[in-house]
Amino acid sequence: MAFLLPLEPDEQAGSFSLTMVIRTAVREIIAEQIEFRELFVQMTTRDLLLRYKQTAAGFAWAILMPLLNTAIFSVVFMRVAPVQTRVAYPLFAYCGLLAWNFTASSLRFAVTSLTSNTNLVTKVFFPRETFPFAAVAVSLVDAAVASVVLVGMMAYEHISIAPVVLMLPLVVIVHVAFTAALALFLSMANLFYRDVKYIFDVVLTVWMFASAVVYPIDAVGGWIGALMRINPMTGIVEAYRSVLLYGAPPDPVSFGTAAALAAVLLPASWMLFHQLEFSFAERI
Amino acid sequence: MAPRVIFDSVWKRFRRGERHDSLRDLIPAMIGRYLKPRREDDRDFWALRDVSFEVEPGRALGIVGHNGAGKSTILKLLTRIMRPTRGRSVLQGRVGALIEVAAGFHPDLTGRENVFLQGAIMGMRRAEILRRFDEIVSFAGVEQFIDTPAKRYSSGMQARLGFSIAAHLDPDVLLVDEVLAVGDMAFQERCRTRMAGFRDRGIALVFVSHNLHAIGQLCDQVLLLDHGVPVRLGAPGAVLAEYCGGTSHTAEEEDVVIEASLKAPRGANARAIDEIHPGDTLELEVSVEFRVDVKRVTVGVVVWDLTRQLYVYGASSDSVGIPAIRAARGDCRSFVFTLETHLTRGLYAIEVNVADPDRDRFLGLVRGIRHFEVVERVSYDGIANLYLTGREIAGPGVREKLCAGAQK
Repeated sequence: MAFLLPLEPDEQAGSFSLTMVIRTAVREIIAEQIEFRELFVQMTTRDLLLRYKQTAAGFAWAILMPLLNTAIFSVVFMRVAPVQTRVAYPLFAYCGLLAWNFTASSLRFAVTSLTSNTNLVTKVFFPRETFPFAAVAVSLVDAAVASVVLVGMMAYEHISIAPVVLMLPLVVIVHVAFTAALALFLSMANLFYRDVKYIFDVVLTVWMFASAVVYPIDAVGGWIGALMRINPMTGIVEAYRSVLLYGAPPDPVSFGTAAALAAVLLPASWMLFHQLEFSFAERI
Repeated sequence: MAPRVIFDSVWKRFRRGERHDSLRDLIPAMIGRYLKPRREDDRDFWALRDVSFEVEPGRALGIVGHNGAGKSTILKLLTRIMRPTRGRSVLQGRVGALIEVAAGFHPDLTGRENVFLQGAIMGMRRAEILRRFDEIVSFAGVEQFIDTPAKRYSSGMQARLGFSIAAHLDPDVLLVDEVLAVGDMAFQERCRTRMAGFRDRGIALVFVSHNLHAIGQLCDQVLLLDHGVPVRLGAPGAVLAEYCGGTSHTAEEEDVVIEASLKAPRGANARAIDEIHPGDTLELEVSVEFRVDVKRVTVGVVVWDLTRQLYVYGASSDSVGIPAIRAARGDCRSFVFTLETHLTRGLYAIEVNVADPDRDRFLGLVRGIRHFEVVERVSYDGIANLYLTGREIAGPGVREKLCAGAQK
């Protein structure tokens, strides 16, 4: 894989061992995060403020989009091609869309987050991961706003909260970590290769239907179903439904896979991001 | 004291021209690289070659050089935006950069919101910005517009606000890039005072500018770069003289060969030529070898203010009683001139020319043959030394008259 990296041959790297590189990178990352600990909040505030100022409906969009999608998929999967779900379909779909939208909108913002801030990337020093991370944080705020409707729908459907809901924070952490890892990776991939943004748009559409967002995973059998189960987003989306709607712990295999993947991907992509950060200004 | 900034034999390589930046181009490029391994080709160039310097707390380093000399590259390496290809760049403590001070501004946010955003980008704490907010706004002079979106600001207002935020940082190392060019004269003066204040408080300063006058006033040492190669590092006087001398032509015309030497002040005991006191008399010996026949030419002496590139004084042989010179090819003539240096502190250079007033052209001109530095502590700026003196007067007299006038 190493030959894929757009790295200049570094004349200093030769004598360093991998563990030394990692140790230095971790130390630098931590030092930078401490030095610029307030920047991430400011950057997120900036993006939220801008949204509020630039759009008429402001945060209402955060609710409108998943609601509209829920309505569309409700027509499709209740009237056109009915599917069996353990809870009322609109609730099933809204919960799934909420989780999916968080990832999708995070990554959609993140993919251009570096290239749309050329001026800052080339002129001022600060940890560049602030940009993709702010994209994730803004989407997280949106998801929090949209979850108000979910609570309303759950109350309407008389869903009782089971003690397993205490696992919700764990699901959120895995979800955010997985999304942040991809956000880091995509933002820098698009900096080096500008067509990543277009490819990613296509990937996102396919990925949503491969993630059991709007229909239950049981509806798909065979090897396609097996593939879909490995997809970490399936595990994450299903985990939300389990702890919130079904009152059961998440599926250990699919959610466990997602959690393990997040635990590996986030440090790995952060390290890679940090190593390549210094070539951003030259390559953007 | 341990240096705050260490730049240790730094090399930096860039690639010229466009690179493949889409995946579509990557695949053929990779195949090409596999077939023909990449070597250092002519598209690579070194933006910096073996540059070293150190800056101690309370010291200021100025970097001068023509466009493309590598000044901005040094700042980008110091700010950690880029990494050196070879060598190391180390900074101790908190780094403030007066570079692209308004880069983080978003046009749709108000001045107030932008202050907090830009401050955070520069690494300031929110509490710190809050505490100094009024100071920042009034330094920039944008009090009335602080709740207006930045897109309604003039470019000068944006730059002033950006500079003001950066100027209220509390750094250990301050990097400055040509920011004195923003704002009007009064604002520039405030900036300069502010930077001198930073230096005197023990902050290490690295200052890149084309404003040689500001560099001469602010810096203890100056680095001269030429196409990435460090030409000279040393006291401002010598380095700036070399830089300015190098920029101007020496021996422009070929009709005469001019040689000139400057003698130390008369009566001064072994005082060096680069430490002149106001009022000292300089002696200039000029010899001219003619390569053409001339009927009526004059020798001119011009004094330049080096850092400001300002024509301070000029006079010629015919106006001081030397008759117009008539010479044949191969003749050699010598002259001696004296000058009284009623100048303020600064760096000056002497130019000698041979002119033909009838045909209105120079037969030869040498500039930067010798520079001298005037040292004094009375004036803080200016060109002509008017020898200000003063004392307080007591009792009746002028003061009562003035005060009475003011009360009316």
